[in-house]
Amino acid sequence: MKAKVAIVGSGPSGCYAAQALLKAAPDLQVDIIDALPVPFGLVRYGVASDHQGTKAVSRQFSRIFERQGAGFFGNVRIGQDISLATLRSAYDAVILAAGLSADRKLGIPGDTLPGVYGSAALTRALHEHPEADALPDLGSAPVIVGNGNVAIDLLRVLAKTADELHGSDLGPGPTAWLAANRFETLTVIGRSPAGKAKFDPVMVRELAKLTNVTIDVAGVHSSEDEEERKRLEALSEIHGHAKGSTRIIFRFGLQLRSVEGTDRVSGLKVASAEGEEIIPASSILTAIGFQSSGDFDREALLSAAEPDASGKLAENLFAAGWFWRGPRGTIPDSRTEAQALATRLLEEISPNPDREGSHIFAGLRDVVDYTGWQKIDSAELAAAAPNRCRQKLAGKNELLRVAGEQETNS
Amino acid sequence: MKIDVLFGTETGNAEMLAEDIQSALESEHDVTCRDLADVDPAELDGESFAVIVCSTYGEGELPSSARPFAEKLDAGSYDLSALRFAMFGLGDAEYSKTFTHGSKTLAEKLQAKGAVQVGERVTHDASSGDAPEDVALPWITDIVAQVA
Ligand SMILES: Cc1cc2nc3c(=O)[nH]c(=O)nc-3n(C[C@H](O)[C@H](O)[C@H](O)COP(=O)(O)OP(=O)(O)OC[C@H]3O[C@@H](n4cnc5c(N)ncnc54)[C@H](O)[C@@H]3O)c2cc1C
Ligand SMILES: Cc1cc2nc3c(=O)[nH]c(=O)nc-3n(C[C@H](O)[C@H](O)[C@H](O)COP(=O)(O)O)c2cc1C
Repeated sequence: MKAKVAIVGSGPSGCYAAQALLKAAPDLQVDIIDALPVPFGLVRYGVASDHQGTKAVSRQFSRIFERQGAGFFGNVRIGQDISLATLRSAYDAVILAAGLSADRKLGIPGDTLPGVYGSAALTRALHEHPEADALPDLGSAPVIVGNGNVAIDLLRVLAKTADELHGSDLGPGPTAWLAANRFETLTVIGRSPAGKAKFDPVMVRELAKLTNVTIDVAGVHSSEDEEERKRLEALSEIHGHAKGSTRIIFRFGLQLRSVEGTDRVSGLKVASAEGEEIIPASSILTAIGFQSSGDFDREALLSAAEPDASGKLAENLFAAGWFWRGPRGTIPDSRTEAQALATRLLEEISPNPDREGSHIFAGLRDVVDYTGWQKIDSAELAAAAPNRCRQKLAGKNELLRVAGEQETNS
Repeated sequence: MKIDVLFGTETGNAEMLAEDIQSALESEHDVTCRDLADVDPAELDGESFAVIVCSTYGEGELPSSARPFAEKLDAGSYDLSALRFAMFGLGDAEYSKTFTHGSKTLAEKLQAKGAVQVGERVTHDASSGDAPEDVALPWITDIVAQVA
């Protein structure tokens, strides 16, 4: 008899969990549910548009549906369209892999002033996420706060020329927006010293390929620690890169005091050993981590988790990926952890034939199945401009319309 | 012929390709498919022809699932002179200076222990938009025809 597993979220952790489950137990019925009409989570809407190689994991994920028999139920938000309790009663096990999509706030005075934007919201807008806000006016001197790979991704794309985006899937709207920006400076601010910054040295070195920037790194120190040394070396290498008019400035070890401005951001007050100063800012982009969107009471769910850190929250309820571990970790981490979770889940699951499975979605409107996604995918690939690899359909209505199109027998 | 398809991977692309290679060869050969993480160098006694698929991570480094194997290989005194292998590399040409160095390193480490590489090391670029199997299947079909 087939046991049924529902996975909430079709990002890397949900997909890798499904892949591992079906590899170990090909008879399992695995259904992946996503609030969006399209699958793959941050692979589609987070990973930078000029890092298509990284997005290639979605080819593996497609096979979960095409060959391993998983079901896709897109445009279904658990906690809203279907309650978690209903889902749990319909499946033998549920995995919450819903990610963390809300921006963490700076937590200093002035952090709600107009002109402060979160990197999650901004990358969604850049990537034409169906629920994104419009792209804002960042002015001539944006300041990026944060020292992770997300900060570097944002910086790199903002600094790129139109030519440097060839081969990406950046849409026509965001492309025009980027071209209209006239950044004089792009400042990146870290709270920790340079050696303790979180970004990958490879990501830093990639900045040395930019053709329209001059890079100035302040605060590179020496270190005995090998990891720190790699990062510091990469920062020293890019320091002094002088190819163009946009100035990139890296500063480290600054305490954040307040966002300055009356009805809009005008600067960021910071403090260091040298005292306080105000760094002028036409906008502030925060890349300091993510938190739960609020579809679930994550804290309550996690506080009941088993202490063995395996991702088991309750009887037949598991968590994976960023939802489980917090907003840290890469796609490879998702894979390793999802494989461990799958092993654990399979030890415990026992099929109950009375459970309804995917019948609970039957009454919902506009559910997008895997065939619907394939139609969207083909339409997007076909619409790609010559210097783009894909043109995403923008807006939920457009996605739903294409997903629902009937096959024509011409 | 006995063929042992081995993969070294970080995000699973090499595993998927290894499975494709297995599927393509198994109608005519006796094929197994394993993660390098589960392989001890001493097992590579040459009874099977090894087809290795390996990606690259960090700055030209081996992917995580190939690392323990490579460390054992470096540390031990293995005689792999009976082993014949073919090597396919996954990478991303955006990393121009270290493109597919993982597979290159691994081939060199095997050769250093006496193993004999058959055919050219062929590579796939993740940014190219090509499907890895479209590059790898013609390559391996040729090589297997030579070896069998
Ligand atoms: C901007 C950015 C760039 C990144 N770039 C890289 C990179 O280059 N390389 C790398 O290795 N890692 C990168 N990462 C990290 C990587 O994206 C994460 O490690 C990974 O996506 C975490 O996977 P996840 O499945 O937990 O979450 P997500 O990928 O966020 O997937 C969660 C899914 O759940 C769905 N969902 C949410 N709520 C509900 C609900 N109530 N009901 C149904 N579905 C729901 C969402 O729509 C989404 O599809 C990046 C992260 C960000 C934010
Ligand atoms: C952080 C990171 C670093 C990488 N470094 C390299 C590299 O140095 N050289 C290279 O050719 N490819 C590099 N790649 C590309 C991968 O090798 C490529 O995406 C491959 O398809 C991954 O296969 P896997 O899923 O089997 O690990 C890198 C990818 C990432 C995400």
